[in-house]
Amino acid sequence: MGSVPIFHRIARLALLAALLAAWQIASIGGLPSYLLSPLQIAQEFFAALGSQELYVHAGASLLRSLPGFLIGSALGIALGLAAGVSRRLDETLSPAIFLTFPVPKIVMLPLFMLWFGIGDLSKILIIALACFYPTFINAYYGARATRTILVWSALNMGAGRWRIFRRVVVPSALPQIFAGLRVALALSFIVMFATEMINSRSGLGHLIQAAESSLRFDLMYVSLLTIAILGYLGDYLLRAARGRVLRWQDS
Amino acid sequence: MARFLRPILLIAGVLALWELAAQSGLWNRLLFPSLVRIGGEFVALVSGAEGLMQAWVSLYRALGGFALAAAVGVALGMLMGRSAFVAGLLDPLFSGTYAVPKLALFPIFIFVFGIGSLSKVALIFLECLYPIVIMTYHGARDVNRVLLWSAQNMGASRAQILRRIVVPASAPFIFAGFRVALPVAMIVVVITEMISSADGLGYLVIYTLSSLRTDRMLAVVLAISLLGLALDQALVFLRNRLVYWEKLDAYYV
Repeated sequence: MGSVPIFHRIARLALLAALLAAWQIASIGGLPSYLLSPLQIAQEFFAALGSQELYVHAGASLLRSLPGFLIGSALGIALGLAAGVSRRLDETLSPAIFLTFPVPKIVMLPLFMLWFGIGDLSKILIIALACFYPTFINAYYGARATRTILVWSALNMGAGRWRIFRRVVVPSALPQIFAGLRVALALSFIVMFATEMINSRSGLGHLIQAAESSLRFDLMYVSLLTIAILGYLGDYLLRAARGRVLRWQDS
Repeated sequence: MARFLRPILLIAGVLALWELAAQSGLWNRLLFPSLVRIGGEFVALVSGAEGLMQAWVSLYRALGGFALAAAVGVALGMLMGRSAFVAGLLDPLFSGTYAVPKLALFPIFIFVFGIGSLSKVALIFLECLYPIVIMTYHGARDVNRVLLWSAQNMGASRAQILRRIVVPASAPFIFAGFRVALPVAMIVVVITEMISSADGLGYLVIYTLSSLRTDRMLAVVLAISLLGLALDQALVFLRNRLVYWEKLDAYYV
């Protein structure tokens, strides 16, 4: 990414500027009331940053998505690595997981609401369930793709099973694990938003739903922009962490 | 023998636990409806015209959005893969907004496209576009140069190179993108139908839940799961037919 020709950089910025300008100019001619101009959105967004409401809802959303993401991906990585190195566990667990992989996990939400109540617990658990699959599958393939020659060398040098797992299998699965985490993080935001839109009294998904039904278009765009920034920020942090952990690997 | 038995034992164990919970009477029947009743409702769902109608509505929204995304996504990804200028222009756009939940646009889509099928198809299109574009881009960018040089050397035109080399070489990647996008299409159709709709399987889930028919709801959940599974299997079948020269790794790309 570092050596992008300067001409391409300019073209890229010009495209973005042209899009925003065209949008802004179109708004002079009069857009329908549900489409705000970029300047208006920016104005509303900065106004909302001054009020407490936005932080309360953003905090409520993060308190659902982050624990779900952490629980789901921790379980997914642990079981995925274990199934990647243990044939017995692989044969028992993997078929059931690969079979249920294409099933949209969000359909379990109503059931989870019955079992765990309509509060935060059912939402956190459904987010964890959604994050489990991509992390499991990536950790599983990462562990299985460990080069046998590395394992043999370690065995030859007298390393024990646990040591090989920790020093050979886990490091060589890490790039793949990060790929899974990136998918899981994006999924956790989608599922969080969906659960809040379906049933909640707080959170950004609730805010956008409430704004829609009371025709507060300004609020709609503010929550949209907030969720976009949060999603981008999370992805950015994850990529930064990947860069630190995988310094030895060139992307 | 034991190899094939163990996963079956796991699934059978889970089902047995469920039935035990249903029969024990410790929990309300609403929380754990008996498997027999769920099965009965499922048969009623798939044999009646009403249930098939709702499934058809969901399927046509999901596949409509997916097909649009496949057509546009493959074209865009090819362009990005074969032209550094287009890639420089569009890649930041796609990777920058990749982690943003596009679902947040749904309320705005409702105003722009109406509360019918169109807003849902548009959202499915948008969500499916990302994996397809990104995977196609990677596939088209990393075509083996030796193949391109040989073709050029033998006097192939640009159109011939695209059709005979770039498309076949990217095909495994394109299908990998499809394989990510198709379950996404199912997820989004169910979510949007749960949020705002008067038909489709997602609506049926919410409707049966609010009328406290959890046995019927679980039958719908089962139908959605089987539909997702069948679509994925159909895609794998198609892929193995079209990309016969490259084996698909065990379960997943």
